[in-house]
Parts: sequence; C-alpha cells; structure tokens
Amino acid sequence: MSISCKQATDYISKKEEGKITILQRYQLWRHLSECYLCKRFNKQNKQIHTCVKEHTYQEHQIELPQDDKNSILMALQNTEKG
Amino acid sequence: MDLKTNQHEVTAWVNDYSDILYGYVVQRVSDTDTAKDLLQETFLAAWRNVDKYNGDASVKTWLFTIPKNKIIDHYRKISTMHTEELANGDNGNDSYYFDSTCHWTEETYPSEWGNLPLESKEFYAILNKGIKKLKEVQAAVFTMKYFDDMESEEICKVLNITSSNYWVLVHRAKVQLRAYLEVNWLVH
Repeated sequence: MSISCKQATDYISKKEEGKITILQRYQLWRHLSECYLCKRFNKQNKQIHTCVKEHTYQEHQIELPQDDKNSILMALQNTEKG
Repeated sequence: MDLKTNQHEVTAWVNDYSDILYGYVVQRVSDTDTAKDLLQETFLAAWRNVDKYNGDASVKTWLFTIPKNKIIDHYRKISTMHTEELANGDNGNDSYYFDSTCHWTEETYPSEWGNLPLESKEFYAILNKGIKKLKEVQAAVFTMKYFDDMESEEICKVLNITSSNYWVLVHRAKVQLRAYLEVNWLVH
C-alpha cells in the first residue's frame, strides 16, 4: 500500500516526534526510497530543524527604540504599586 | 526595600534588559506592536511583583519567566480567534503544494539544497521572516514546538486544539517554510 507525498510529509513530522506507527514507518521508508522529492523534503526538514535549534540557543538582542523604552519607563512611573 | 528603591531598580532593569527581552519576544510574536505591548506588560508585572523577587535566581532569569507566560496567553488568544477555521479543518493552500492525487505540484518540487549556513545572520533573518509569513496559529505551533521544545500535548492544550488539528498545522508550517527558504535564500 503506497502513500502519497502529502501523507509522506505528514509522516515525516510524526516520525520526528516519535508518533508514528510501525506500518506508517514502513510506508514512509518505502515512499522515501522511491520519491526523490520527499527525500529532499525530509533532508531539508532536518536541516531547518537543526538551524532553528542552533538559533534558539543564542540570545538575540534587538535594540528596542529609545521612544519605546521611554514609554515603558513612563508607564512604570504612572503605575501605582500593588 | 522601600518603594523608591524598588522603582529605581525596575527602571534600571528596563535599561539593562529591555533589548534582550525584546529580542526574545519579537522572535515569538509576529507583530512588533504586540511584541512591544507584551514587553511593557512584562515590566509592569515585574514592578508589581518586585517584592516576590528574592534574589534566588538572577534578575534576568526571573524577568524571562514573565514574557514566557504572556506569550503563551497571547497564543491562546490567537487560537480562540481562529476557532472556527480550525474546526472546519480549513484547506489552507494545500492545493498549491499538492495536486489532486496528493503529490507535489510541479511548481513546488523541492529542489536540491546544499548545506545551510548555520552561522549566517542573513540566513536567520530570512528564516524569521519566513516564520512571520506563516498564519498566526501555524507560527505559534512552530515556535512552541521548535523554539521552546514543548510537547505536542502541551501545545494542543494551550491552543485548545485536537491532535489532528495540530498535525495539520505542523505539516503546513513546514511545507510553507521550506518553500519560503528555497525561494528567498537559495536565489541569493
């Protein structure tokens, strides 16, 4: 029983989270051995995953415009405590 | 600490930590105005709760717990706004990527990629842009899953969606983001 590319790409996500049945795993394996497009998708999906991880571990300082800082400071001054 | 000292402290925190907190929020919330609002609310909450900060964790760690929760609340709101769409299964633009037999449409055939430039700031800027191009709920799922390592069960709970909704959202986010990167990065 063969699966479509749409199903294959869905199974790739499920596999990534370990939420795939043995049958689905087999179907995916079969599909990937025959479909170079999904094979690419699978590989690129892993690459994206790695990049995102790498990216998240770093802290990203983005300068908040001074005007926005000032408006936070003003809001703080105008807020009653408690 | 008296009130004046407290206020002085929180003011100093704005100067010291607003850029890093802003970086954190803006990466998770697509709209910069919303991000700025969440940041302001974060500092107001810090100000209201400054007495609870007992110095066990660093100020930075303590401050970071605040936007984390606020962002989750924000995602919850987004999901509520799209309840109907989610319940209807919304066909999205699947037909753009997959034809009637559910195979890749010719114009969206994935092309061959080389290695992705893990160090390149430019690449990450494009990645972030790609995430922001996703529908809000898709971006929320993607962010929780990949940036914050949340389990799918937890994500479903936050967004109040079924696991089949979840898989559809993950699937579409991935297909779209991959295509976006291909068009916007590889042509460089």
